[in-house]
Amino acid sequence: MKTIESDNPPVPISDNDLILYFYRDGLSAERMVEIDNALFVQTELRRRYTELQRLLHEVDCAPVQEPDAQLTQRVWNKLSVRIEAEPVRAQSLKRWLTLWHTQPPRFRAYVTAGLLVAACAIGFYAGRHNAVPSNDAAQARTASARLLDAYVADHLRSTEGLLLTAANTNSNELDAGNRELAAALVESNRLYALAAARSGNARLGDFLRQLEPVLLELANRPADAPIESREGLREYLRKTDLLFQVRATQARVDPANRHRT
Amino acid sequence: MAAKEEEHWVDAARRGDRAAFRHLVEAHTCALFTVCVRITRDAALAEDAVQEALFSAYRHLANFDGRSAFKTWLHRIAVNAALEQLRRRHGEEINDSDLGNSDDEEDFLLSRIAETPSPGQHARGAEIHRRVDAELARMTVIERTAFVMRHAEGQSLDDISRTLSINISACKQAIFRAVRKLRGALQPLR
Repeated sequence: MKTIESDNPPVPISDNDLILYFYRDGLSAERMVEIDNALFVQTELRRRYTELQRLLHEVDCAPVQEPDAQLTQRVWNKLSVRIEAEPVRAQSLKRWLTLWHTQPPRFRAYVTAGLLVAACAIGFYAGRHNAVPSNDAAQARTASARLLDAYVADHLRSTEGLLLTAANTNSNELDAGNRELAAALVESNRLYALAAARSGNARLGDFLRQLEPVLLELANRPADAPIESREGLREYLRKTDLLFQVRATQARVDPANRHRT
Repeated sequence: MAAKEEEHWVDAARRGDRAAFRHLVEAHTCALFTVCVRITRDAALAEDAVQEALFSAYRHLANFDGRSAFKTWLHRIAVNAALEQLRRRHGEEINDSDLGNSDDEEDFLLSRIAETPSPGQHARGAEIHRRVDAELARMTVIERTAFVMRHAEGQSLDDISRTLSINISACKQAIFRAVRKLRGALQPLR
């Protein structure tokens, strides 16, 4: 550590301080002034700072891989295909979700129960009629599985955002929004888990069931939850690798990913 | 692209105008590639990251609230997309071990430096750049990303820590270690 030679008590200025000073970031205004003054009177400090500037200048001069001339066109070509497929699904889902969330909770509960009964009935019926299916029936099943995948992929995207926000934000406002989102996701998560199991995708059904306790926890998290609970969640996410699993499952079921490959 | 003009294209793209979104893609793709390639050190991964970042931006345009510049918002998405590509392809994760220890307090800038670079040292510029490049490649993902975001992208420590989901102190340490490593790469030449 080097010190400033002045009448005042010596203020150590480390190289790390100089790095922050170089970027004009991460130091208080008072500290910036102290370093300013010290650089004016301290030869050795000035040499250290000059060396830092020289070093970072070398970094600026180091060549960076340039994009090739066709990059933008290539990116747009792929992007436009994905965008083309996006609006219909996204807008219909958005409309559906908006409509769904404007309904009274009791109505939503009845509809959810009705859908669950219907899903069970279809599962039961399908189980009893295990003869070779006709082409039409097979196509219909494939179409409904794809539709379910599309909805589940969007559901997992929302869940990923929810987990990231819950683990990383310190904002009460975001927390409140997150609680509402978590409460909404609990309901749809149950529905999708059951639908996945009924359609024969036990792996997806099991995974969605694993998510439920976390969603419930986030939906019921108190507004004044201590910092430890956030750290606990981070630790839980790290240990269980849940975020990775959510992303991986989302990538696996997302029909948009299938178009790409 | 001027700020006003960009605002116009962003508004139009939000309303579903694909031509407007294409304008934004054309304006930002190369810069996004540069930041992604600095992080991934791989052109193919960087291109995939750009692709994912722009698609994600398209899908979440409604969430862009204009509090930060569109470019900043887009670059933040791109950094995450680049990290995601590294994670997918190489299993590289941002984790606690990547954050390392915070005991690199010893000064390092004045170790074995010459007063001024000699002509011979100037001639070794290409070698210096090669070493800088090698050192950037050897940094941990978080050191390199934090350094690139601060040094090349000019993002604040606050923004970087939010993007990388780490605290400010860890963010500073990552940058300190990155600069220290770069200094080490130049040392034998001075």
